[in-house]
Amino acid sequence: MKKLFEKIRNSAPVRNFLLFLAVMGPGIITANVDNDAGGIATYSLAGAHFGYMLLWSLIPITLALIVVQEMCARMAVATGKGLADLIRENYGVKVTFYLMFALFFVNLTNVMAEFAGIAVSLEIFHISKFFSVPLSAFFVWVIVVKGTYKSVEKIFLFACLFYVAYIISGFIAKPDWYEVFQQTLSPKINWNIGYVVMLVGVIGTTIAPWMQFYLQSSIVEKGITPEEYKHLRLDVVGGCVIAPVVAFFIVVACAATLFKAGVTIESAQDAAIALKPLAGRYASWLFAFGLFNASIFAASILPLSTSYSICEGMGWDAGVDKRFEEAPQFFWLYATMIVIGAGAVLIPRFPLLGIMYFSQVGNGILLPFILIFMLSLINNKDIMGEFTNNKILNIITWATVVIIIGLTLVMVVFTFIH
Amino acid sequence: MRLFIYLSEILGRTVQDSQGKTLGKLCDVSMFLTEEVFPRAEGLVVKRGILAGKHAFIHIDNIKSLGKIISLKVGEENVRFQSDPIKPEFSLCRDVLDQQVVDTDDQKVVRVNDVHLLNVDNQLYLGHVDVGLRGIVRRLGWTSFVDSVVKFFSLNSPYLKEEELISWKNSQVLTIGRLRNVLRSDVARQKLSKIPATELADIMEDLDIFERASLFKTFSTDLQRKVFADMANHEKEELIDQLTDREAGNLLENIPADEATDLLNNLPKDKVRHLMRFIHSETSKQLRKLLGYKQDTAGGLMTTEYLCLKQDALVRDAMQLIKDNTEYPGNIFFIYIVDDQNRLVGTTSLRRFINVDENTPVVETRYLSETFVRTDDEMEEVALLLEKYKFSSIPVLNEEDVIEGVITSDDVMEELISLTWKKYKDQL
Repeated sequence: MKKLFEKIRNSAPVRNFLLFLAVMGPGIITANVDNDAGGIATYSLAGAHFGYMLLWSLIPITLALIVVQEMCARMAVATGKGLADLIRENYGVKVTFYLMFALFFVNLTNVMAEFAGIAVSLEIFHISKFFSVPLSAFFVWVIVVKGTYKSVEKIFLFACLFYVAYIISGFIAKPDWYEVFQQTLSPKINWNIGYVVMLVGVIGTTIAPWMQFYLQSSIVEKGITPEEYKHLRLDVVGGCVIAPVVAFFIVVACAATLFKAGVTIESAQDAAIALKPLAGRYASWLFAFGLFNASIFAASILPLSTSYSICEGMGWDAGVDKRFEEAPQFFWLYATMIVIGAGAVLIPRFPLLGIMYFSQVGNGILLPFILIFMLSLINNKDIMGEFTNNKILNIITWATVVIIIGLTLVMVVFTFIH
Repeated sequence: MRLFIYLSEILGRTVQDSQGKTLGKLCDVSMFLTEEVFPRAEGLVVKRGILAGKHAFIHIDNIKSLGKIISLKVGEENVRFQSDPIKPEFSLCRDVLDQQVVDTDDQKVVRVNDVHLLNVDNQLYLGHVDVGLRGIVRRLGWTSFVDSVVKFFSLNSPYLKEEELISWKNSQVLTIGRLRNVLRSDVARQKLSKIPATELADIMEDLDIFERASLFKTFSTDLQRKVFADMANHEKEELIDQLTDREAGNLLENIPADEATDLLNNLPKDKVRHLMRFIHSETSKQLRKLLGYKQDTAGGLMTTEYLCLKQDALVRDAMQLIKDNTEYPGNIFFIYIVDDQNRLVGTTSLRRFINVDENTPVVETRYLSETFVRTDDEMEEVALLLEKYKFSSIPVLNEEDVIEGVITSDDVMEELISLTWKKYKDQL
């Protein structure tokens, strides 16, 4: 019997599957954190205010997401270094500093969005934000600094099954599937300021700048060798498909309920209506639970990942297992992100939904600059050796860069006209 | 011209020929790659035009002065610009500035923010690397602004005075030319030899896997063995992956056989076959045998290195045997007495014969009860026996009572600790 097990364990397909499980993680985790508070808010708004009109964009975005994330994974495997490290070593401290400066502020607004998500979701349960936000900030601080994060991560991941609710709800709402497919495959694009800003937001929330730093670092940390790379690629690509599929159904569910009823989202209660077809009068509870999990999951990762990236780029010691005197910059950055991120949300009349949406537009604006650096790095033979990009990948990524910069410019022009 | 200048100050300065005609801007300094403690500059790389532009190499002897404007002794016609990038063997911007180096004095990995050059008679020497905050501020071009802000708040702020410079004597670059080639220079070895092995293992943790391998390769065989022993299991596997099969084979031959088998057990079968070819035939025979046993049985735990004597040996021989093996890192206090077919006759230890007359047959000093395990015994059983008899090692016999190896308590301990860890982690 034991022999038999041994035989099964050593057979090629089983072995491959086991290997896949062993390297699985970074891609799936990144993808799930990708649908954070900002993500849920942006997709909900997209569906509620524009119906199915933005669905088409998810197809090219998925393609770009796969290409970009795979590039990060490849860089991690080929160089064994994080993205910030590579940028510092190849473009010098000046470029790195300003880029990290921008990353810090954009990510700070993202952290605010996560805490806003916590505030909004728990307000549905009538818990005051003055209570929920400081408590959550403290919780995040404790699990990260005390090193229990890794085990809590599994709970977060499991709770991400919540997204299935959107898929079911999307079906039960009986959307006009003909229109859904029509809008997805041959869209009628409506060029106005709101639409363009929303488009940048959807791109920015799906392909967020922080994801590139986070994914690359977590692969480096896992120590994946070039031989294991093909299994890793499966994980990364899988994650890149899951995230937009969830996004697709959030948009569909919101469009089929909110847009059809002509409701504009002004509070979390409104956004929760999208889950009514599934959960009935418990929709807002379900929504609150999902939003809370997404928010706190991302709030545990974002400040930490940002502080790591910045310290990596600037050459400062970093790590939660270090003492304060050993890594003062790291702890200052980390504390600043959490304190300001949570603190801003507590300001009376702070636009909670607004920050969740506009932080994602900020992501979209920063993204092309990160992509330009990634493109330049990944095509450098001295760094990547045989792992450089091929032509198709370059074309897709450059197209992404040009399109986002173009959209950003259109957005600025529109803003000036109005 | 000051004696010491920062690289960031001269980078981007205008370069003029002997007629005062502007040729371009300084963009890199190439260094001689010699065994000297403080490397000397070989020449300057000058860039003309925007974006990729064109580059020219100017030998250091052709420089008249290194002032606000770098002027040359030669005319424009002697400077050849080319469109292909110039790739010196060792250059400051590519290999030192913004890269990680090992600070061999403080024994940690640091990132270089600026380079401090010694300027004597228009010769430049690499003196220090700047790893402090002032270096970053200088590179950003904010020195006077930040200084005045800091002065406004506190005149005696340590920031204003403290330069975090590390002498080049105490710093070691890890890769040159990004080609990940090995630094096998004696200077590197000398600089690193000051660092204790355990510290080196810590330093290695801060490096990426390629730098780690290239640093590891500069070590002597002895140091390699020590550093390797201090590394975590997955780090060992990663490292083996980066070494050539020959290098890995050499390494495996130098570490205790049981550690080597543990490692080989976790590698893919193909890799193991490749490695075996590079391991000395005697060692590989032993390893093959050990690999045949399950990891958590006595056979999988044991090492094939132990001290043994024939039945007719005297206490004198036993003493000599221990003296001859003081260098061996494993357990040397237990000696196993075997017959001609290598069957275990008895076990003795230093404690038993140290006070006995030299000419007594060693067999007489053996323990009265026979303690041993079989190759397929479970690890828990081994642990229980070791604890019961308070032995630090126990022999492993096959069905014919032939001694195959021994298990030392630290091997069992290691396994148990990692098991406990796993359980603990699963609970979390």
